[in-house]
Amino acid sequence: MDELDLLKKDWQKKGDDLPKLSYNDIYQMIWKKSSSIVKWIFYISIIEFTLPHLFLLIPSIHKNLAIYEALGLQNFMLVFSVIQYSVIVYFIYKFYIRYREITVLDDSKNLMKKILLTRKTVKNYVLSSLSMILFISAAVVFTIYLKDTIELSNYKLFLEIAKKTSVEKVKPILMFAFTIAGLGMTLLLGGLYFLLYGILLKKLKRNYGELKKLEI
Amino acid sequence: MTRELEHNFITELENNQNIIHKVCTLYTNDRDAHDDLFQEITIQLWKAYPKFRGDSKFSTWMYRIGINTAITLYRKSKRSVPTQDYESVIFKIKADEYDETEEQQLKLLYKALKQLGDIDKALIFLYLEDKNYTEISETLGITEVNARVKMNRVKKKLKTILNP
Repeated sequence: MDELDLLKKDWQKKGDDLPKLSYNDIYQMIWKKSSSIVKWIFYISIIEFTLPHLFLLIPSIHKNLAIYEALGLQNFMLVFSVIQYSVIVYFIYKFYIRYREITVLDDSKNLMKKILLTRKTVKNYVLSSLSMILFISAAVVFTIYLKDTIELSNYKLFLEIAKKTSVEKVKPILMFAFTIAGLGMTLLLGGLYFLLYGILLKKLKRNYGELKKLEI
Repeated sequence: MTRELEHNFITELENNQNIIHKVCTLYTNDRDAHDDLFQEITIQLWKAYPKFRGDSKFSTWMYRIGINTAITLYRKSKRSVPTQDYESVIFKIKADEYDETEEQQLKLLYKALKQLGDIDKALIFLYLEDKNYTEISETLGITEVNARVKMNRVKKKLKTILNP
């Protein structure tokens, strides 16, 4: 193809037309912060690993957790927390191992594959967290359904409602509230997560798909 | 030690900066984006530099990291509209060097180049830089056979853009 030969000839002659950076320009550049997607994935993942636990530090939320006590779910929650933290430790470890394997010195296909694998680890973590939220909400709703009386002394808001109405009427309200809270949180966190990564990795996924398609 | 490393790196980069500029012209549409991508590639090169043992040429390294940064790590969207100013600076065609048809052809070729996808651009870039298929396949992580197949497709695609 002679058009391409012509292009090649012209391309290789390029040089004078290109910008020229001085020693100082480059010196200043090397101390700037990278804004690569790997950095982004790292920061977002750290937020994903820590955010749900930071919520627990807010006093009002902590107090609201007294509902578990009121429902007699302390032991269940204790066992559940142990499982939850083991899962988190497992995912953080796996994330760390995969993150460290990412190197710009890899060939393009491998680099993309490793980034996508790292992201998959976080995705699995998010999915497991979300299912845990759903599971807890379901357990709470189910327990409320089974209980005849609910010890609400620690739970101010519902105590007020309970004063005005009977326990029978409080039960559906509580069940409804926990269903909405559980579903709402799952949808919100899940939606945010998939939107964020969808935008961030759109280009990478497209390019990886193109390279992979070649191998078939 | 660090100072020496820093000095060696900057000197090497300064001498070979055209490689990065060429990557940037292919993958960006305006001067701001060009500078931004240049900076990201420079940061990636500098971060990887301590692992550079000198068993391959510094420029070989730059091709790999440059392409990886452009098609994988670089986050910003490149959908910005090319500005006339930038195009004329980067793809300035010297009228006295070519006859009119060649000049016209080159203009169309550069325009067609810009319309290619990320991977296609990488292939054409390595081809224009006179890299052989072994190097191309190693850089992109595909087999040599597939690199050839893909390259032929890209050339065909360019032809179609040129002669619709």
